[in-house]
Amino acid sequence: MTTEAALPTRPAPHGARGGGRAAADILFGGQTGPVLVIVGVILAIWYAACLPMNSGLPSMPAEGDLAARYQAAWSLERPVLPSPHQIVMELRVSTCGRLPSDQPFWSAFFSCEIRWTPRNLLFHAWTTLSSTLVGFLMGGLLGVVLAVLIVHIKTLEKSLLPWIIASQTVPILAVAPIVIVVLGSLGITGLIPKSIISAYLCFFPVTIGMVKGLTSPHPIDLDLMRTYDASAWATFWKLRWPAALPFLFASLKVAIAISLVGAIVGELPTGAQAGLGARLLTGSYYGQTVQIWAALIAAAALAALAVAAVGLAERITVAALGGRR
Amino acid sequence: MSAPAQTRNRTDGIPAALVGLVAVAAGCLWALDAVHRPDLAGQAPAWFWGAIVAIWLAAWWATDRLARAVPPAPAARRMLDLLVPILFGAFLLFLWEIVTVGAGVPLVLMPPPSAIGARLVQSLPILAEDFVQTVLRAVIPGWALGSGLGIAIAVLCDRLPFLRRGLMPIGNFVSALPMIGIAPIMVMWFGFDWQSKVAVVVVMTFFPALVNTVAGLSASGALERDLMRSYAADWATTLLKLRLPAAMPFVFNALKINSTLALIGAIVAEFFGTPILGMGFRISTEVGRMSLDMVWAEIAVAAVTGSVFYGLLALAERRITFWHPSYRRR
Amino acid sequence: MNRTLLAVGIAAFGLTAATAAGAQEKVTLQLKWVTQAQFAGYYVAKDKGFYKEAGLDVTVKPGGPDIAPPQVLAGGGADVIVEWMPAALAAREKGVPLVNIAQPFKRSGMMLTCRKDSGIKSSADFKGKTLGVWFFGNEYPFMAWMSRLGIKTDGSAGGVKVIKQGFNVDPILQKQAECISTMTYNEYWQVIDAGIKADDLVTFKYADQGVATMEDGLYASEEKLKDPKFVERMGKFVKASMKGWDWARANPTEAAKIVLDNDTTGAQTEKHQVRMMGEINKLTDGSTGKLAEADYAQTVKTLLTAGGEAPVITKEPKGAWTAAVTDAAGIK
Repeated sequence: MTTEAALPTRPAPHGARGGGRAAADILFGGQTGPVLVIVGVILAIWYAACLPMNSGLPSMPAEGDLAARYQAAWSLERPVLPSPHQIVMELRVSTCGRLPSDQPFWSAFFSCEIRWTPRNLLFHAWTTLSSTLVGFLMGGLLGVVLAVLIVHIKTLEKSLLPWIIASQTVPILAVAPIVIVVLGSLGITGLIPKSIISAYLCFFPVTIGMVKGLTSPHPIDLDLMRTYDASAWATFWKLRWPAALPFLFASLKVAIAISLVGAIVGELPTGAQAGLGARLLTGSYYGQTVQIWAALIAAAALAALAVAAVGLAERITVAALGGRR
Repeated sequence: MSAPAQTRNRTDGIPAALVGLVAVAAGCLWALDAVHRPDLAGQAPAWFWGAIVAIWLAAWWATDRLARAVPPAPAARRMLDLLVPILFGAFLLFLWEIVTVGAGVPLVLMPPPSAIGARLVQSLPILAEDFVQTVLRAVIPGWALGSGLGIAIAVLCDRLPFLRRGLMPIGNFVSALPMIGIAPIMVMWFGFDWQSKVAVVVVMTFFPALVNTVAGLSASGALERDLMRSYAADWATTLLKLRLPAAMPFVFNALKINSTLALIGAIVAEFFGTPILGMGFRISTEVGRMSLDMVWAEIAVAAVTGSVFYGLLALAERRITFWHPSYRRR
Repeated sequence: MNRTLLAVGIAAFGLTAATAAGAQEKVTLQLKWVTQAQFAGYYVAKDKGFYKEAGLDVTVKPGGPDIAPPQVLAGGGADVIVEWMPAALAAREKGVPLVNIAQPFKRSGMMLTCRKDSGIKSSADFKGKTLGVWFFGNEYPFMAWMSRLGIKTDGSAGGVKVIKQGFNVDPILQKQAECISTMTYNEYWQVIDAGIKADDLVTFKYADQGVATMEDGLYASEEKLKDPKFVERMGKFVKASMKGWDWARANPTEAAKIVLDNDTTGAQTEKHQVRMMGEINKLTDGSTGKLAEADYAQTVKTLLTAGGEAPVITKEPKGAWTAAVTDAAGIK
């Protein structure tokens, strides 16, 4: 059948079939196999690209056979493109401290002694995460409140909604230093200015999603509420809010990722004090390329964790509400 | 509370509202004139702020009447829909001017809109150069390339299920990452000019386009697909005639998200190294020179650019996906 | 909702009161850049208790690439800032009344570092080359120098191509620029660390080119300096800070360690900071904290002769420095 590919294929049920193809099915029927293959391909290209990317640096040997030059390209102190294992090593060292030299490599690699100092990447990740979460809470609440107001007050719907969309076209990153300085002059420093930048970026998807969600009940349902002579309040709690929940969680997932971007951007102008953004900046400033990459990977891990946490909250909520979606 | 179906014509509030607006406009002009007088600027007394609050309440009342009104003619309805947000924006600018001048906020922290407007008009040539460098050389090409690649790879994934199963989890993961962090690396790789900014924008816009298009390609209903199969349509025909059109709302969603991402990405990348022009360059340099009026003029240009970009996409979306239920008359 | 927030926030500026007087007088210092040995004197004075002995409670705020200290001062976020003279005078013309109250740095550490293989031997060879320059108020000395040489910087033919250098030395390593801006105590050594030999570099110190401008000085706002109490407090601050600088010159390695302890980013290395401390000490050596009028006159002259497209300052500044604070501190 030629149209087979046009239909979204379901992952094959694991281990449901016998025969010699079972193992291949388990590997390649689902997502694991393909993902592993693609990640492998990316890593191979990455390793291969290290030499051409780094060959122009003054610290590279000009002569020598290919193997020796690759060896050199993978272990530079300030590469243009660091090799993956350099980044893994940097992550290990910047979270668990230096490798103890009295043990064989692998056991040393997995021993961990976490010191809570500014030298530790976890410390910076926590700094960024805390302002992300505060900004996410502020932005999420603001987003929901605005959406509720917009749905219920006609004036706001007409006057505010276009400006909410326009607000997102202001390059907040350009305004961030001004925000930090202005709040700093009011004596507000540290976490709050960064969180305000996060909140400014992340209230938007929540507002838009919730306006859609709160207006998603069918006219028939709204008419039914009216026949019961339900108050606006009852209509909201018993009909609009439950109908909006799936929209809420979908937009919260987007919002928390954006909030993280806001926190990192907010850390750039705050004078590089702490946080992953500060790590990116100082890494860039002192030419510590490997440190930039490690900070990027840490940011990626944070984003993945945060989005997963929102997904978990969604599952718990849906289960508590009896699985109605 | 949603009102009953909005087909009834209600114009009784309009005359009163217009009278109110004229009064508010007069009040605003008086306040603007008063606040710039040397005896008020920077030391406005309490009674003045009281007057401002009164003007605000009057403005609210008038706009509220206007927003509730439903004139019979569609043209008049559209006019009203435009008028209300414009009035709101104008009033915001008025408040900004009054507060910064009246409270004597230092120019280096927050210049009033009048100063920003004056600077904008004076510096049009510079702003135009920056616009060309940032928007025409970096944002638009990067946005087109990144979104186009994302859509193309999504179609390819659709053809090769193996690729989709392998790429989608990675795509979903990467689209939530703070991609802005690659800006310093791209400047290192692609140099200081627009090439590095294009690279940042391409990476930032690629994944949203990929993820949204893949989701859109499975948006057509089983019923329609069965119909295509009963016509013996092959994959390409089904794609062109049914599945791509059905995916359009998703694709446009991605294009709209990407339009703001592209602008932000290019401007941030310019913070990490540029030739001596471009919006990001100008903003960061002028902050250092204490010319905040120039900074805000540049921000105004960026905001207008972003809004126009978004608006054009919304218009195109209306034209192309006119069949979608969200455009039905409610 | 947003409107009221904005209004309340901005109205509060006008009401930002001076710092409350406690048992210990509070002073907030805004640095020009990130925590590094360039500011060792202040960190030493804080950690060694010199400020405390003077009855001061000092908060040191690190700066960064997007922090303009004059803006922080204008917003009331700091009592005193570290800034370069050209940027301070430019800000003064813009209506931020900055006044120099002390000058811990005697010499300028700014220079242009070029690759020898680019064929640049003297300043006559710049034409047609790409030069990396820092902006954000640090471009003024460069602009002054170029206009003295009569070289156009707007990218037109026969001039130089200027790029806005980031915060690192990559452009020279990757041959994206023939020359980059460096400080004697910081970026120059980053180039050396990256594997380029000193013999392969040509350096142009601004001081040798006759376009030296005063660097790290302490500035406060003219408004506050009208209050004799504030002048007295600043006097104590300057005196304790200079004590910190003297200590840093006597114990460079320990001073670098104190800086490292205060670095919250964890990005600084001991090797780099110890070396930086040594270079910084050469710049502060011989300064009592009192501004030398000859140096000031030289800076103003350099900036005034730098006409060109966008002059740094257009007229002779008045009241841009004061000896009142150093006199109050008893510094000769």
